[in-house]
Amino acid sequence: MTDTTSGIKMTAGTRLYLYASLSLVACLVLVPLMTTALGGFKSLGDLRVNPFGLPHQWVWSNYTDILFGERYWRQMGNSLLIAVISVFLTVVVSAMAAFTFAHVKFFGSAQLMNYFLIGLMFPVATAILPLFIRIRDLGLLDSYWGVILPQVAFGLGMSILLFRNYFRNLPDELFQAAFVDGCGYIRFFWYVSLPLSRPIVATVSIVTFVNSWNSYILPLIMLNTETKYPWPLGIMVYRGEFGTEWQLVLAFITLTILPTVIVFFLAQKHIIAGLTAGAVKS
Amino acid sequence: MASVELKDVRKAYGALEVIHGVSLSIADGEFIALVGPSGCGKSTLLRMIAGLEDISHGEVVIGGNVVNALTPRERNIAMVFQSYALYPHMTVAENMGFNLKLSGVAKADIEKRVAEAARMLALGDLLDRKPSQLSGGQRQRVAMGRAIVRDPAVFLFDEPLSNLDAKLRVAMRTEIKTLHQKVGTTSVYVTHDQIEAMTLADRIVVLNGGNIEQVGTPLDLYRTPANLFVAGFIGSPAMNFLDADVDAENGQPAARLADGTIVRLDLARQVKRGQAVKLGIRPEHFVAGDTGDTVVGGQTLVVEPTGAQTHVVFTLAGEPVTAVVDGAFPARHGMPFQAAVAAQQVHVFDRGTGLSL
Repeated sequence: MTDTTSGIKMTAGTRLYLYASLSLVACLVLVPLMTTALGGFKSLGDLRVNPFGLPHQWVWSNYTDILFGERYWRQMGNSLLIAVISVFLTVVVSAMAAFTFAHVKFFGSAQLMNYFLIGLMFPVATAILPLFIRIRDLGLLDSYWGVILPQVAFGLGMSILLFRNYFRNLPDELFQAAFVDGCGYIRFFWYVSLPLSRPIVATVSIVTFVNSWNSYILPLIMLNTETKYPWPLGIMVYRGEFGTEWQLVLAFITLTILPTVIVFFLAQKHIIAGLTAGAVKS
Repeated sequence: MASVELKDVRKAYGALEVIHGVSLSIADGEFIALVGPSGCGKSTLLRMIAGLEDISHGEVVIGGNVVNALTPRERNIAMVFQSYALYPHMTVAENMGFNLKLSGVAKADIEKRVAEAARMLALGDLLDRKPSQLSGGQRQRVAMGRAIVRDPAVFLFDEPLSNLDAKLRVAMRTEIKTLHQKVGTTSVYVTHDQIEAMTLADRIVVLNGGNIEQVGTPLDLYRTPANLFVAGFIGSPAMNFLDADVDAENGQPAARLADGTIVRLDLARQVKRGQAVKLGIRPEHFVAGDTGDTVVGGQTLVVEPTGAQTHVVFTLAGEPVTAVVDGAFPARHGMPFQAAVAAQQVHVFDRGTGLSL
């Protein structure tokens, strides 16, 4: 396929090397995923002695119990709610901030930009104590906002960086043409920049969504009521005093990462386009 | 429609002044071309008229109003950009109607005016296409459609044809001229291509280093260039320049080239004996043969046939000089070449100041 589309001729050796190395990389990604999914079909004993093979006996009840239980759906709902609001706020705030950084020259814009970028250096965990105190003072403990707002704040650095680079690569003459047509900054943002930024909006949305979906430490610290737990906290239920029901944990994980995997496959074209935008002039 | 006037307009970036006091008045309905080499300030000047650059000093007046502080929209100008600058996510119709939509014109009215502009530019079948589905010439026409649809006071063109191939450029040039004859809107056209400027404009403004060198009709500039710069810039192939000293021959003014060749000058030239000058002779003013006021000759260096005409480069006083002769003329590399030039066709410039004498 490669040689017909790109016109590069490959010898048999190169081709063999290419397929072998790509298969290896594919295995590295697929084996843990498969192990998790298959592990959910095993009994605990089977899992202990046969962690990687096919189940000796397919235990469907691991999955069906979770799927027909109320907790799974509630936690998925919580995760979804937190993720969707986080994505919405991140996209709106970072797009507007990035537009300003890309198009408006003002005193201190470089310093302010750097201030946002410094945020990239600190993961949530490093600031967890002051964060907890601040959220407590704001009275947002044990509420969705207590998770959403810090997530948005920590996502801004990366999102602004992606958006700004994208906006800066839009041709200057486009802005001038819009200016002559009667646009100000706000109308240019709304009518021209944003419609042209679909790939980068998709990228930022997916990255934010996945981060929020997998976020563990923030909900753990901020939420106390079990009905508000997102799914990563839900796994704790399967950890008993004397042992963990690993087969249920694996089944639960499989069911919860499934939506993000599906979303990623649907949107991967946009994600790649967004990440590499501006690398080559189209 | 409106007249445009520039009054001592200057542009400076910090301490660096790039436009040094340009004054120009453009009549209502006139087509003006700003030409000059890269970096002469022609685009900057256009962008100052458009309102895309601040004016450091002086006034821009459109239709009798000083517009220095107004936005492009308030100045009611329309601009066609070199890269077309069409909105990639909008259809042709949306591109053309965007400025009307922004100013709150009713939808039915927008459609009517877009349809009318599309008819004028033969874009009727393309209204639902996106810019990426159009050819270069079609995109250019959409960019012009976007400009005429709003009926502006002034059209501004910023090198609109330089992204097109040579053949299309000639076709679009004709279209722009036809369009201007139809709508009659005051137009300012920036180009570095002097042929474009000559063919399109009512008057040409030659800019160099942020100063106006000369303003005049195309033929004025061609026949009576004010200085060496304009003489060298207007005309293709470019004028030949030769260093010479003024002398007299049989009581007539003449110039002596470095190798002693005498070139006879027109009586009207204001020259003094012994004055250091540069002679300017256009290639097309050489007539192959040995009958004329001055006959010069030298060895043929290069022969460039273009079909109807042939460009012959030969040595004269040690310098390569181009002559344009009929396509049928049997010129050959290495052969001697002889040509005559009439005294009134020889331009004389002061070697120090570069001004025409």
